[in-house]
Amino acid sequence: MVSRAKIKELMNESACSHNKDKKKGEGCDMPKPGMAAGGCAFDGAQISLFPYADAVHLVHGPQTCLGASWETRETLSSYSGRNHTVMGFTTGITTNDVIFGGDKRLSSSVDYIVEHYAPEAIFVYSTCVTAMVGDDIDMTCKKASEKHAIPVVPVHAPGFVGGKNLGSRLAGEAVLEHLIGTKEPEFTTPYDINLIGDYNVTGDMWEYLPLFEKIGIRVLSSLSGDGRVGNIRTAHRAKLNVIVCAKSLITLCRKMQENYDIPWVSVSFYGKRDTSFAIMEIVKALGDEALIQKAKEVIAEEEAKLEEKLLPYKKLFAGKKAVLNTGGNKAWSIASGLQDLGIEVVATSVRKSTAEDKEKAREYLGVEGILMMAPASEQSKIIDEKNADILLAGGRSLYTAIKKKISFIDVNQEKKVSYGGYNGLLNLAEDLKYAFSNPVFANVSKKAPWEAQ
Amino acid sequence: MENVPKIELSKHEHKPLQVNPIKLSQPMGSALAFMGIKNCMPLMHGSQGCASYAKVFFTRHYNEPIPLYNTSVGDITAILDGGDYSILMAIENITKKNTTLKPELIGLCTTGLTETKGDDVRNVATHIEIPYCYVNTPDYEGGMESGWALTAKALIKQHTKETSTIDTDKLLLLPHASIQPIEVEKIKEFCESFGFETYALPDLSTSLDGYLSQNQGKLGTGAIGIEEIRELGTCATIVSIGSSMQIAAKALLEKNSNILHLHFDHLMGQEKSDNFVSALMKIRQNEPKASIKRWRGRLQDAMLDSHFLIGSSHFVISGEPDMCVGMCELLQSVGGTVDAVIATVYSSVLQTISAKNVFVGDLEDAVPYFENADLVISNYHAERLLHMQERHTGLILRGFPNYEELGNQLKNDQLYEGSTYFLFEVANKLREIKHHGNINE
Repeated sequence: MVSRAKIKELMNESACSHNKDKKKGEGCDMPKPGMAAGGCAFDGAQISLFPYADAVHLVHGPQTCLGASWETRETLSSYSGRNHTVMGFTTGITTNDVIFGGDKRLSSSVDYIVEHYAPEAIFVYSTCVTAMVGDDIDMTCKKASEKHAIPVVPVHAPGFVGGKNLGSRLAGEAVLEHLIGTKEPEFTTPYDINLIGDYNVTGDMWEYLPLFEKIGIRVLSSLSGDGRVGNIRTAHRAKLNVIVCAKSLITLCRKMQENYDIPWVSVSFYGKRDTSFAIMEIVKALGDEALIQKAKEVIAEEEAKLEEKLLPYKKLFAGKKAVLNTGGNKAWSIASGLQDLGIEVVATSVRKSTAEDKEKAREYLGVEGILMMAPASEQSKIIDEKNADILLAGGRSLYTAIKKKISFIDVNQEKKVSYGGYNGLLNLAEDLKYAFSNPVFANVSKKAPWEAQ
Repeated sequence: MENVPKIELSKHEHKPLQVNPIKLSQPMGSALAFMGIKNCMPLMHGSQGCASYAKVFFTRHYNEPIPLYNTSVGDITAILDGGDYSILMAIENITKKNTTLKPELIGLCTTGLTETKGDDVRNVATHIEIPYCYVNTPDYEGGMESGWALTAKALIKQHTKETSTIDTDKLLLLPHASIQPIEVEKIKEFCESFGFETYALPDLSTSLDGYLSQNQGKLGTGAIGIEEIRELGTCATIVSIGSSMQIAAKALLEKNSNILHLHFDHLMGQEKSDNFVSALMKIRQNEPKASIKRWRGRLQDAMLDSHFLIGSSHFVISGEPDMCVGMCELLQSVGGTVDAVIATVYSSVLQTISAKNVFVGDLEDAVPYFENADLVISNYHAERLLHMQERHTGLILRGFPNYEELGNQLKNDQLYEGSTYFLFEVANKLREIKHHGNINE
């Protein structure tokens, strides 16, 4: 079961930057009725663990939880066996289970999965209803684990305990409690790292992993992009935890530092500056002079290569101005990417950003840059005042761009290509090139024959 | 296919879990129905994830911003609140935050969570001035189709005035959940051409229909409003389309027993379209307009043009029962062999399908049939499975969700016209598949 004490601990994470400007004990926000827009705790847990392709992810709940969510995230995997991330497994409980309990159904489901799919492990996710009716998921998992001799890991993140971020933390707790430290790696190197919080969406990781290989950094395990359960069990032997663009798994990193003495660094791989900075942070933390030297060489070489490829785009984008309206770390990470391409970012939204994200946004945009607190009402005016050429925002802002007759990119939509690493910048550049040259925005802004001209 | 164990059509499940599910939940169907009401604020009563999943789901299916709010029940409200608190707080928070938002109806659907804790959601209406409609839609019962139908029923039951007078021109359509926005519009226009003043409940024809406008995704923009719902009792005729919608028709008959109720399990293919036209002709005592007659001839021509390809092909259909039954009948009317129908949930209408295998299941159950089929009609999730198999089986995407294609809201499969396009689409896909097969050989 998930206890209130645990939730309180996770919401008050001392290492979390959300807590900087809050009173002691206040912690992260709990969802307010009507105001919460994002996913629930279960959603967060699912996002954090689903990329394990060698495990089956069994959702113990009614239909909405999995029925609407499977096969929606482009978390790519190189796993050569049956890729379970593109499959959906749910107990799909019915009224009977609500009345009499769903333990029996759960245990038969686990048996069925082992018999038909023989996974390396099974994650069992509790949901609002099964947590509420009090199914003893821990016991069912424990018994199944003994019976089938594979890890059957209970993940207690029912939706009602909070938002996505908390769910992600709870998923981290499950991994820490049931998997990390349960197996020894075949060998170790002084340059072993764990990648935490990159889910390899559209292959983001594959943009920077080749650089690691060139430098000599070895990824021992991943939580959980292109990850394997077998590897995360050995994560306690890594020399460094690298947390990528995510604040939710900080608790896990802090606890691994306490339990296994593994330090951690927090980095992002969006844009040229961030990628280079991230690599340097990692090698510095690993503390090997030769490695640092090698990293510098690789960075210099890659940056030079990239610069050359970016040149035509930079010419194309010279003098272009952008307004950015998106949430969280994208407020500065995409801004950074745009700047790398020579585009001036005149404004970015910091409506949902943490204090740290705001600082970063300010740093990237400079004193002239506008940090929008109410982008929905501000962006239109700013586009006029600053003469912006493009709006990068969610779908709801499309109409603003059309009214202002400027280009538009939907940055909140599931992206189809990666913007990560050095090469991702080229993908972003391509998307921008097409957005700038596409006449569609001007065309659909034309008045109809029956409207006053 | 001989070694595939036969699954019988039953209300009871044949295994403890679903693998690669196609079933969708009741609250999602309900939320979609509320989006088909003018200036309705669809509000899902559950943890924030329920609404968030549904929102992402419909956003990707329709490529439109989706108006959907939630009461975000937390751990404390889950235990202590009887329902009113989080619902009222949600309504207050949403309307306070966005003062330009002027909902004319709050459409509340419950979820598994709030049904399990036993919330009494009826009472909210006494605390707010905005009209309010509640639907009990636990997601451990029924499916999308029933959630949609229950919502139409609730709107009538809670808001339509009782009466005994009727307006002879007035007709109400009750379309099932799988009927897409453009199809609602087409069926409405069809009835209007006979001289009916036509309403649909829900009416998605002006909601999620892929129309560029300002302030999208804030409130439902359906073509029927709460005022019109109140007056539905004076309809002389109601037409329920899809067996799931019978409950809504029944609710309206209870408001006015003088209403004539016409029911059609679906409106696909020549026979059902003919029956529909006959019924409308009988009421109006007039002939269909020229273009309808013309479309019937086109459909017949399409049936003949496509019969050779379809008549020599094997099909598997999966989806909501009311959708499956229509497609099955249309394909069979031109000689198609339907090997299996895999439905999301049980419905008595499935008993009327004459295919070799008809059962309730998931895509794991469907795969053995896919391997012997020329063409599969299913949702987006079938695509990857078909790519994994050796045989080159075609896929036509229908039902929810379709994340792969654009313009889902404008696909018309209904009546003479829609059926014509559907047959051509099927035949063209079969030609592509069979031609491809020949090249491989």
